[in-house]
Amino acid sequence: MTAASPAALALGVHPGMAVAKAQALIAGLEVRDADPAGDGAALERLAVWALRRYSPVVAADPPDGLHLDMAGASHLLGGEAAFIADLSRRLADSGVAARIAIAPTYGAAHALARFGPAPALIVPPRDLEISLAPLPIAALRLDAAAIESLRRLGVDTVGELAALPRAPLALRFGPEVSRRLDQAMGRASEPFELVEAPELIRVRRAFAEPIAAPETLARYTAKLALQLCEALERQGLGARRLDLLFHRVDNRIEAIRAGTAKPLRDAKRMTRLLGDKIETVAPGFGIELMTLTATIAEPLHYRANASSLIEPATPDLSDLVDTLANRMAHGTLYRCAPTQSEVPERNVRRIEPLAEPAGVTWPADWPRPSRLICPPAPVEAMALLPDHPPVSFTWGGIRHRVKRADGPERIFGEWWVRDGELEAVRDYFQVEDEAGERFWLFRRGDGEDPNTGDHRWYLHGIFA
Amino acid sequence: MTRYAELQCASHFSFLRGASSAEELFASAAMLGIEALAITDRNSLAGIVRAHEAAKATGVRLIVGCRLVLADGTDVTVYPTDRSAYARLCRMLSIGKGRAGKGKCELHWGDLAEWGEGLIATLAPDAADDITALRLRRLADGFPSRAYMALTLRRRPRDFLRLHELVNMAAQAGVPTVATNDVLFHAPERRMLQDVMTCIREGVTIDDAGFAKNRHADRYLKPPDEMARLFRLWPEAVARSADLAERCRFRLDELAYQYPHEVVDDGLTAQATLEKRTWEGASARYPEGVPDEVAATLRHELGLIESLDYAPYFLTVDAIVRFARSQDILCQGRGSAANSAVCYVLGVTSIDPSRNSLLFERFVSQERREPPDIDVDFEHQRREEVIQWVYETYGRHRAALCSTVIRYRAKGALRDVGKAMGLPEDVIGLLSSQIWGWSTEGAEPKHAEELNLNLDDRRLRLTLDLARQLIGTPRHLSQHPGGFVLTEDRLDELVPIEPAAMEDRQVIEWDKDDVDALAMMKVDVLALGMLSCMRRGFDLLREHKGVDLDLASVPAEDPRTYAMIRKADTLGTFQIESRAQMAMLPRMKPRTYYDLVIQVAIVRPGPIQGDMVHPYLRRREGLEQVDYPTPELERVLGKTLGVPLFQEQAMQVAMVCAGFSASEADQLRRAMATFKHTGGVVNFRERLMGGMIERGYTEEFADRTVSQLEGFGSYGFPESHAASFALIAYASSWLKCWHPEIFCAALLNSQPMGFYAPAQIVRDAREHGVEVRPVCVNASRWDCTLEPADDRLAVRLGFNRVSGLANDQAAAIVAARAERPFADVDDVWRRAGVPAAALVRLAEADAFQPAFGLARREALWAIKALRDEPLPLFAAAARDDGRPAPEIAEEAVRLKAMTAGREVAEDYRHTGLTLRRHPVAFLRDELERDRFVTCAAANGLRDGRSVRTAGLVLVRQRPGSAKNVTFITIEDESGIANLVVWPDLYEKQRRIVLTASLLGIQGRVQREGDVIHLICARLFDLTPLLSSLGEREFPKPDDRGDGARFGITDDPRERRPLMVSAGEAERHESGLKLKSRNFH
Repeated sequence: MTAASPAALALGVHPGMAVAKAQALIAGLEVRDADPAGDGAALERLAVWALRRYSPVVAADPPDGLHLDMAGASHLLGGEAAFIADLSRRLADSGVAARIAIAPTYGAAHALARFGPAPALIVPPRDLEISLAPLPIAALRLDAAAIESLRRLGVDTVGELAALPRAPLALRFGPEVSRRLDQAMGRASEPFELVEAPELIRVRRAFAEPIAAPETLARYTAKLALQLCEALERQGLGARRLDLLFHRVDNRIEAIRAGTAKPLRDAKRMTRLLGDKIETVAPGFGIELMTLTATIAEPLHYRANASSLIEPATPDLSDLVDTLANRMAHGTLYRCAPTQSEVPERNVRRIEPLAEPAGVTWPADWPRPSRLICPPAPVEAMALLPDHPPVSFTWGGIRHRVKRADGPERIFGEWWVRDGELEAVRDYFQVEDEAGERFWLFRRGDGEDPNTGDHRWYLHGIFA
Repeated sequence: MTRYAELQCASHFSFLRGASSAEELFASAAMLGIEALAITDRNSLAGIVRAHEAAKATGVRLIVGCRLVLADGTDVTVYPTDRSAYARLCRMLSIGKGRAGKGKCELHWGDLAEWGEGLIATLAPDAADDITALRLRRLADGFPSRAYMALTLRRRPRDFLRLHELVNMAAQAGVPTVATNDVLFHAPERRMLQDVMTCIREGVTIDDAGFAKNRHADRYLKPPDEMARLFRLWPEAVARSADLAERCRFRLDELAYQYPHEVVDDGLTAQATLEKRTWEGASARYPEGVPDEVAATLRHELGLIESLDYAPYFLTVDAIVRFARSQDILCQGRGSAANSAVCYVLGVTSIDPSRNSLLFERFVSQERREPPDIDVDFEHQRREEVIQWVYETYGRHRAALCSTVIRYRAKGALRDVGKAMGLPEDVIGLLSSQIWGWSTEGAEPKHAEELNLNLDDRRLRLTLDLARQLIGTPRHLSQHPGGFVLTEDRLDELVPIEPAAMEDRQVIEWDKDDVDALAMMKVDVLALGMLSCMRRGFDLLREHKGVDLDLASVPAEDPRTYAMIRKADTLGTFQIESRAQMAMLPRMKPRTYYDLVIQVAIVRPGPIQGDMVHPYLRRREGLEQVDYPTPELERVLGKTLGVPLFQEQAMQVAMVCAGFSASEADQLRRAMATFKHTGGVVNFRERLMGGMIERGYTEEFADRTVSQLEGFGSYGFPESHAASFALIAYASSWLKCWHPEIFCAALLNSQPMGFYAPAQIVRDAREHGVEVRPVCVNASRWDCTLEPADDRLAVRLGFNRVSGLANDQAAAIVAARAERPFADVDDVWRRAGVPAAALVRLAEADAFQPAFGLARREALWAIKALRDEPLPLFAAAARDDGRPAPEIAEEAVRLKAMTAGREVAEDYRHTGLTLRRHPVAFLRDELERDRFVTCAAANGLRDGRSVRTAGLVLVRQRPGSAKNVTFITIEDESGIANLVVWPDLYEKQRRIVLTASLLGIQGRVQREGDVIHLICARLFDLTPLLSSLGEREFPKPDDRGDGARFGITDDPRERRPLMVSAGEAERHESGLKLKSRNFH
């Protein structure tokens, strides 16, 4: 369990508990799957909202925090107290419970917001140490191992940690513990990390005069793409997702996002992918900064196109796939692949357009019809029990006399899927009628045990 | 009617492939009219004896066979036609197993050629392709006129075409075809279980299993007519199955067992050697002359041994025991062997036949024609020496251990099936916590319901159902603890041998029941922890008190020891320490050795079910007249006051009252044990009743006697066995009574053993005035030792109590200390050369406190500064006292002291016991508030009073003798309380019974003399209180409002954790985790 509602917490459920245990504790507990990616995206959205509303410098602090630099911004909102009131009211209105702390250092604010005595706190510089002292050391953003060993030594609070002499502490726990302590106390500076992570490959271009014309945007997009490809090449990477941001003079950001099926490092294709969407960008009073980020990048190495002169080159479909995929809704582009299931209607699945073949194939000597009728069509058939092929069958009012047949191929229901298939059996026959047409018929049941099926006949496929 | 024999059939000894037992297969075969059934397990003959027994029971003939899967994938089934071919098959399998290692088998075509003489081989082909053609040719060349090709219907596309091609191919190669079914289970409904077994084998879930599942349909037994119909195109293949079966005439009965020859003196026969040794031994046992009675018994036994030709067996056991004695290894025979005067004079057992009336027929019987079963216990640490001696003496080709078939039990079945069905780990864990390990019924829907698990979830229902089906299925072969099979000829021509997990061990594929069934000789070289404990006790006694004793010379019939036993002050002793035994002791009031024999035997399912306990106790207490209908009966039952308590007595009653012969009486005993539910005993019952009435007993008396005898069922306890155990029980009680400190140290060093955890052993010793000293880096050895203290000895806990500390690291510390004691942590680290992690373990166990006065946290702080290796520079710069200079001089640091509760929790976590206050003492305030009184106070209440008390759960016991009553022992700072949970409450509050560590109860006091039970009416799970232990200071402040005593932030209770997750993590870390012991 990663999180629980206040009501659940009150009933004794706590994060870290096994779900089954929690369910045992509370009848009718509602359990939902955790969605870390969704949570992350929501936090990003919240960060953007805060950026627009409260402060020019905002960072999302995953998994559950926002980091706002209020220096020189709070006066616009009527002071710190008014800011906190406004922020918590708005968050509460949208269903977000928040704990807020304003403190002289980011470390302290981080700690107080999470472990402080009240849901909203303003700590002036002179009270910094005294307010941090009673907090548990977990508030200091230390790694779990350090917290664990400090606790074993009886160091439970920040105050107790701060009281320890520095040199012996550093000898035992390395510089990290002291650094975090200093950062919280304001003795060490902490760089402000922007919304995006620094390891991303990003190129930017600032404009002395704001630009606005679509052609200009397209031109600079092409330049940025070229720059980004160079940067990617240095690291042997290709982009799987591209974010092109337009920072407008009015402090708003317009964005284009494009995804690729395979790592991409081709400036032309990149430009084309992004250029397709430039028309969606509203430049407003002009754009003063453009950044292009490879938000997701994967290794890409050069590879010979053909291993010999005689072999035909395998066509590279990725370009086509990318173009199609960027124009259609997600998931509408797919390929079919076999899966390991005996039940005919279940032995196909959808995979990514360019996914590697799964390595599963249907046995070549077990013929399967080229067309599967879905759902199977009921037919009238005459056959000897228990396991003889039908003598004739009637489908759509037309009677077919069976000349040749093979079978039965006995296929069992997937009993673990649903109750109806616990004992279910189908006997499949491949039959050929007088006209030489071949059909795939099955009878429900094995012809002996009535529990296995009701002996009705179905047509499930037609051979080419 | 078609004749058909099924020639390809896997039993569940084809582990995780076959889904039915031999019994099920043969029962089905008999019903379907199949005339012969071959059991062909995969590269194994492990299930063949079971099949042999099942065949005898059903009348369907067994064809011995084996399915060999060669390294290149060739699938050949072979059937030995005669004894020598069988021997070659065993040799071949042994070679393959030796080559591949435990549990596997690697065979090649070459092996088949080398050992294939006399074997009929049947190829199980896949498709009619080139590979099959090649294999068929090789087989036809290697097995001229003995090669066949199996035709099996698979129910896959083009099945008949495939068979047609195969038939053609076989015809070209000149190999006849034979129809088989390739059976994996006896009936169609086993298919799901077989699928699940595949998943377990492949380690996948059922959803991902895909084509790994068995893809060929209908692999169950089919009647001959159905086979004829299915193979109507090839009737000759069906007919040939019966012909092939005719050719395989080898029967397991032909295996003739030969005793090893080593034991016989030169120039004498085995019998003569045994007689010589017997009379030598007799004159040594009875220096004043062998009593006539004993001499007569010896002659009777020797005569019977001669007629059955068992002399080599006795000599073999004698040789093993002699070796052990020569090495000063404590040993004692147990079980029915103690019925033999010959065993006594040979020194194998310790029960004097002149003082006890023994019944040799219980041990060896003319009719049974089964070799006798002599089990010898050795002290468990030195048993390995005996085992190695056996290997050296008899050679590895003639000696091997029996295997033990590891079968699925409820928990394992649930775990494996749950995993295969894709249930989440936590659900499986939760469910299996509800199962009493050995239970045969498995998890039931009601268990899941109690856990609030959703029973509408079909996966869960299927899992419970399939897990129940899986219970009892063999999973793999393991090594029997000590059952040796010895032969004269090569053992690997009798049975395949495979290497065991332990190096230098090899086991045969059969378990001891199989060996019994084939009348092969087996010697059980067993390990008994209490013998090790006694050996240690005697060593300590010699070393510290100069008293030289052994099991035989412990002062007999010591009144003080019996006084202690009568008070049920027997924690830690042998046998009489269990709850049920302790409850009986104050009523039995044993005063002599024989009382102990009865005590050991009476608390058993047999006597309890036969309702013999209460009559016996009433008579013993003089509340009931002891009367014997006839003088003969008085002779038999006199020593047990007219109530039959032992198996021997049951037999003698049959002999004396109903005129049974000795061996008939033994058959009766066996009938009662084996055929209890099959009605075999009915004939005997009639004969017994008839015989007794004929001899003038009243019908009512006869009826009562017979029902008493039936009560023995499978649980009867032989007197001889009880006598052997009573000897050790007495010796251990004597040691506990006179030398409690030595007993405590010896017992601690022999852990794990017995019913009680080290914490209770130490507590018990301290209550007996023994001083127990903590683990100390400057004083402890690996084992617990004795130190002089004032006028007596104190127990010093050893490094073996420190969890996570390796023996060699402890040894390094002890060795480095020999020069001079350590001065500080730095000194230990430098001189002992152990890694800092080992020092952390010691610090966690508080081992630096007694030596340097460093508390846990201070020691950890000091160790945290150490690196992996000392710097040589500082070692060189020695200080004045010759010790290296410390690398860093740093200011002293004051760390916050642990709360007293936390210290106790840490003690438990790192040493399994505490010498500080009892954990429950810290919770007393809360418990009092909820009106839970101490265990001592509860035990002091009058009979029938209602009571609420609470304590740590020490032992949960559900003895088979007590009709599902659960006994729980709880403990608090004042003592222990004995709880009784009746089945209805158990069902109602099962989860609490099985999982609570701190248990509160509401119930009623039941006094029975000195025995006090608390009959539970309601249970409370107080375990959450325990996790707050780490936050507790002791003694508590008198006034809760007095926060100033702890300062603002020092008292953790005032610092309410804000984030639930952080707070919980802290609690779990500092709380107390206990593992109770469960017994059945």
